[in-house]
Amino acid sequence: MRLGLARRSLSMFPPILTRAYSVQPISRTSISPPPASLKPQTPLFLRPPTHSATISDLLKWQKWAKTLASSVGSHFTHLDDGPDTTLLHRELNWLLQDALENPKLPLSHVGTNEVVKLRAEMEDLYVLWKQRIEERRPFQYVVGCEHWRDLVLSVEEGVLIPRPETELIVDLVGGLVKENEELREGLWADLGTGSGALAIGIARILGPFGSVIATDLSPVAVAVASYNVQRYNLQDKIEIKLGSWFEPLKNVKGQFVGLVSNPPYIPSNHIRGLQAEVAKHEPRLALDGGSNGMDDLLHLCHGASSMLKRGGFFAFETNGEKQCKFLVDYMQKECDGSFCDVDIVSDFAGNKRFVTGFSGP
Amino acid sequence: MQLEATNVLNPFSVVVLPTTKARSVFPGFPLLNPSASIKPSGDNPLPLQKMSSLILRRSSLLSRNPSLSRHFLTGLSSSLSKAHSHHLLPSNHGLKVLASGCHFPANNITGSSSVSVGTSKFSCGSQLGIINSLCGRLFGSQAAVEPSTSDGLTVEGILANQWTIFEESESDWKSHASAIAQSIHVIKRRLQWKSLIVRLEMLSAQLDKPDLWDDPVRAGKISREHGSLMSRMKEVKAFEQELLEHIDMIKLAREEDDADLQSESMKALLEMRRSAKEKELEAMLSGEHDSCSCFIEVQAGAGGTESMDWASMVMKMYKMWAQRHGYGVTIVDEMPGEIAGIKRATIKVDGEYAYGYAKAEVGVHRLVRCSPFDSAKRRHTSFSAVAVIPILGDTSTHVQINESDLRIDRFRAGGAGGQHVNTTESAVRITHIPTGVTASCQNERSQHQNKASAMTVLQARLDQLEMARQAQMNAQHTQSLTEISWGNQIRTYVLHPYRMVKDLRTNYEVSDPDSVLEGDIDSFILSFLSSALDKDEDYS
Repeated sequence: MRLGLARRSLSMFPPILTRAYSVQPISRTSISPPPASLKPQTPLFLRPPTHSATISDLLKWQKWAKTLASSVGSHFTHLDDGPDTTLLHRELNWLLQDALENPKLPLSHVGTNEVVKLRAEMEDLYVLWKQRIEERRPFQYVVGCEHWRDLVLSVEEGVLIPRPETELIVDLVGGLVKENEELREGLWADLGTGSGALAIGIARILGPFGSVIATDLSPVAVAVASYNVQRYNLQDKIEIKLGSWFEPLKNVKGQFVGLVSNPPYIPSNHIRGLQAEVAKHEPRLALDGGSNGMDDLLHLCHGASSMLKRGGFFAFETNGEKQCKFLVDYMQKECDGSFCDVDIVSDFAGNKRFVTGFSGP
Repeated sequence: MQLEATNVLNPFSVVVLPTTKARSVFPGFPLLNPSASIKPSGDNPLPLQKMSSLILRRSSLLSRNPSLSRHFLTGLSSSLSKAHSHHLLPSNHGLKVLASGCHFPANNITGSSSVSVGTSKFSCGSQLGIINSLCGRLFGSQAAVEPSTSDGLTVEGILANQWTIFEESESDWKSHASAIAQSIHVIKRRLQWKSLIVRLEMLSAQLDKPDLWDDPVRAGKISREHGSLMSRMKEVKAFEQELLEHIDMIKLAREEDDADLQSESMKALLEMRRSAKEKELEAMLSGEHDSCSCFIEVQAGAGGTESMDWASMVMKMYKMWAQRHGYGVTIVDEMPGEIAGIKRATIKVDGEYAYGYAKAEVGVHRLVRCSPFDSAKRRHTSFSAVAVIPILGDTSTHVQINESDLRIDRFRAGGAGGQHVNTTESAVRITHIPTGVTASCQNERSQHQNKASAMTVLQARLDQLEMARQAQMNAQHTQSLTEISWGNQIRTYVLHPYRMVKDLRTNYEVSDPDSVLEGDIDSFILSFLSSALDKDEDYS
């Protein structure tokens, strides 16, 4: 089996978007059913180990890849806050782990003529690492997965790679559902689910009757999220729906005990200046929050009160302090007492990141 | 030729244990003549062959003694050859090592050095007198309370009789009895028998106090410890009793000319003799936390790249050692040097008795070589400090950590974060504010996992701190990295101008640094553990 992405050209053009969107930004109202051909890619570490290589070939590749990574130094970091050599070396180890049938195998213990089983061809490993360094293709797309909390989620071009900051939302929900049976056993929504990270993280901490509906406008995201849900055997607990924000949820209005979302929140004109991994490779649909980044957050704000049961919880991720304050202010002044206990929560880096609260006075 | 070094008649053969005992009981540990027994004779010694030969040796012995296998969890499959060399007699080289590793007066060694003659029966010859008088002095005072056979023979009496110990295959009850009695002697010493008795008396006195249960936590602790010490003591006493009963039976069988009874008792003695070896090993790892998994931390001393390279060599040695034993190895924290090596690193070693063995490595390790980082190829001396922290299995003994006492930092904090940044960097550092103890992890692939991993390190560090606090009176705690002074050298590795690794605590040394640096450190560990436990002759 060949890597689907490996054959792509190494030209100047970013090798992204196997299924490019024809229009950007996408209109959020007209939705067509997903094309039948949408089949999510299998992450490298789950592919069958049908290839093989000698240890000496593998070591040769490793040496080449290490040298390539070393040539980066801190150039990317100065350029746009991208990865430095230390980080790239760590990623290289992870790539090797994912590609080996037996990742625990200490290569140094094996004779150089030994043959090991691989999940990708040697040739593809060269292409993949070249893409990582020369095209700044995100490491998570290279290996087709992201480790997030205790999960390993499949990701691919067209789906936002879940960020470590967002892990905290699951912790926040976890703290609440431990104390509150209604929240624990109720219906939750994850809006703009992407890879399905939040939906899966939350579904795993809910009680036996709790469930999640996750929506996304992107057919690729819906396909990938469904794949991830099945990998964690949560198809009975999570329903993935294609559509914009609340649209696919009309028939369950007012029944949610919780809403979470990591919507696009980056101001449109900032996107170009982001680090290459993000700007050139991740889906704009998942990043661009309009001229001040608040378009979708405000949309969520308006919809939340009618979707939530009284006492229901919400948590939205934002771009930082400015958006948090704006949102809190807006909720308190403009939303006519639909929310209470509105609060700002910081992420691990100390950035004000999340706005949380409850519905009803 | 199948000859066990343990058959040598020498009441103190166990003291010289790194070689004699471990050989038979400890199949995974190639003690006698480490270099010769491991290296395949070809000019290109493949590491895999090396491991397989270890495994083969191990499995052949384990099949004889299956319960030993829990000390040697190994996930490796066995194959290949090179298994036989290890069963051969120790070479002179091995004995030289043995002699220097022994804490006994040098003249005792002559007793065991006769092993190399190659016959299967030995006697201690001129050493008998010395040992005899020693035994008499040591055990005479206790004889009154000791259990004995119908005709008054005690375990110490057996020891004092100096009966020749033959191979197991020889059906000689005196030989078996003598071997078992020696094992009991070793076990008692390792359990620190006299201290054990004193401690038990103290605990019993406390248990008898009427106000004991006013503090239920303390009471629970005392009664648990009392129970555990009591059962250890009872086990040894029962073992002694069993030995004496079998001897009685044999004597009876002889008087009554009952061949069946005699052979049955002989079988039972042989069985005891085998299990006694196992008990010796158990007694060596009878410390409270010995059975735990552990963290091993290595820190480079001053000296720049050369010293950081040395730290990474030491770390690699432990990784390979752990892998040889089938322990799980995870890198928790690693701070690479600018040019090569590591400034500091922490690995987690998962498996039974990982701490019990690894604790023998605590201290400063010194390297002498021509530095590859010195363009003038001058000789350099570098240091690395090693700390070992047990991961307590029993959660009730954990120090309680208050979430509010923690400060959690993400490395590379600052910047916009969130969707702005896509980085696989998710390092986490946790600081326990009241104590200032920190732990960090960056080798996991998610922040959540890094945090969880750092928390286990933090927990272990705080537990260790607490243990140190509690153990200060008996000074038995292992030190943390910060406590290890650079003067506290335990071992020297010389690659130039000659080649040698020498343990400064036991004087045990080998002339093959390469295999040591490839993780073949069991002989060092065992010689240290046994010398630490066995040097006190009077069980104190």
